[in-house]
Amino acid sequence: MALLRVENVRKSFGGLMAVKDVSFRVEPGEIVGLIGPNGAGKSTVFNLIMGTLKPDRGRIFFKSQEITHWPTYKIVDAGIARVFQIAQYFPRKTVYENVEIAAIPNEIFIRAPDPAPKTLQSCARTGLCEHSPNEDRCICREELPGMLPQGGLRRLELARAIGTDPELLLLDEPFAGLSSGEVDEISHLIASLRDEGQTIILVDHNMRGVMRLADRIVVLCFGEKIAEGTPEEVARNPQVQEAYLAGGGF
Amino acid sequence: MSTRALRLSLLGATVIVIAIIGPFLPAKWMTTITYAQIFAIYAMGWDILSGMTGQISFGHIFFVAVSGYTTGLLNLYLRWPIWATILLGVAMAVLAGLMFSVPALRLRGPYFSLITLILPLATARLVIILADWTGGELGKFGVAALCPFLDYKANQYCNYYALWALMTGVGLLLIWLSTSRIGKILEAIRENEEAVEAAGINVAKYKIFAFAVSACVVGLGGAFSVHVNESVFFNSLLSLTTSIEMIVASVIGGMGTIVGALWGGFLVRGGEELIREVAHWKLPIGAEGLALSFVERWATFIFFTLLIVLLFVARQGLLPLLTGFFRRGKKRYAS
Repeated sequence: MALLRVENVRKSFGGLMAVKDVSFRVEPGEIVGLIGPNGAGKSTVFNLIMGTLKPDRGRIFFKSQEITHWPTYKIVDAGIARVFQIAQYFPRKTVYENVEIAAIPNEIFIRAPDPAPKTLQSCARTGLCEHSPNEDRCICREELPGMLPQGGLRRLELARAIGTDPELLLLDEPFAGLSSGEVDEISHLIASLRDEGQTIILVDHNMRGVMRLADRIVVLCFGEKIAEGTPEEVARNPQVQEAYLAGGGF
Repeated sequence: MSTRALRLSLLGATVIVIAIIGPFLPAKWMTTITYAQIFAIYAMGWDILSGMTGQISFGHIFFVAVSGYTTGLLNLYLRWPIWATILLGVAMAVLAGLMFSVPALRLRGPYFSLITLILPLATARLVIILADWTGGELGKFGVAALCPFLDYKANQYCNYYALWALMTGVGLLLIWLSTSRIGKILEAIRENEEAVEAAGINVAKYKIFAFAVSACVVGLGGAFSVHVNESVFFNSLLSLTTSIEMIVASVIGGMGTIVGALWGGFLVRGGEELIREVAHWKLPIGAEGLALSFVERWATFIFFTLLIVLLFVARQGLLPLLTGFFRRGKKRYAS
């Protein structure tokens, strides 16, 4: 059974139809690449899945439950987490405290477990540790996020996202603004999450990064799905090639 | 030292000083501090909502009015005992806070602030329209006293220490809350609401909770003020100046720190009085009269100028200035 089902979803902003009757499925354990030229509607699709935007029509199912009109926090609790294209963090909280938020339960009147072990696990998993005198221990970074390089901010968001125990992880342009060294590191990190069985949707307008990671690719162009298939199939598709040439190439 | 331990020790030190100096204060100052304690409760109540989540409310005096008029009028007309009317007044304030929080949550930034400003203005009109019952702008006297002693001095002591206990209790509770996981989320909401929601937290629920706690605390202060004054007094229960001063107190002391708001409260209510006091110090003959009349007339102006200077020197407020805002906590280890 599909983990996520997007059915005929449509969204307009004024006269502009950003997403036009898009449908696709994500099976457990796969990495689906969502690609397309700038303005193709990729981020809008993410916003629709996360409940940040409500679709004008169409339905979204997660594990056979309809989540179309759910608020974001409920969708996150159900098991979808996202990493934003532009890093969203708490500038006056330390890296540790930023990651900690995901480990705090959404209940006011309960005795909650200590968030520390979970937080450290997320930090360790995404490589947000400081060099420690004792090699097998992770000291979660205590600096402010503003001190981190771009790659570090991406790790921070990944740590917060996996801290919510997602079954499906949405990554919005995880390579944007990174140096080539950082691209390799983050790409390696994403691959290791996949190897652990994490289901991922990966948005990128740059096809190279996605080709290496994705099992299947969905191509959007001007809000419409124009192709779907394995990376090789999609790369050979003349319609995709044309869309990318028109939109500025790969 | 953890943030919680630090704030609790600062609160402890402050309230111990206030408890000790009580008997040594001249009568005038004892009254000033009694009222400053009520105001400090307001400021801390404002801080737990607006200071922590960054949703700046200009209208918190509304909760003082709801609670104050409820307890005062019920006591006055129905002669209910004050413990019952105070409880009911606070409950009404919480209810008002909950009702108000729902529409308020749809608004952000200046729109939220503007709406909060309209509340006390509308309530003030209502109080004047219903002047037959509320006493309108003149107020109503004859509300039961918090301290029913015959001796003036005994009453003064009783009021001073009753409010001291209330302020201490509120301070402890709010510091505990502000440094709990709930406080962490409220702080995170101030910094980036979207990121909090993305971490699976229902932001609206936490804001409503903060609203209720804030209204409860401010309402508690308001209810006690009525029984200290032994009257429902329009100028104290619906004063927009007091509403704005709550913001000033919290900002001066350090927003979202609770102890800072308490200090700010004493500074705002005690500071002006202190400047007037200084004017009465012995000065060389000749200069004395001159300085006295000058300072007396200009006290408020001088005080607010000093506050502005203080804000320039310590933009984050007094408490963060003292502790260093970006103090690092202890390192956390994991195997």
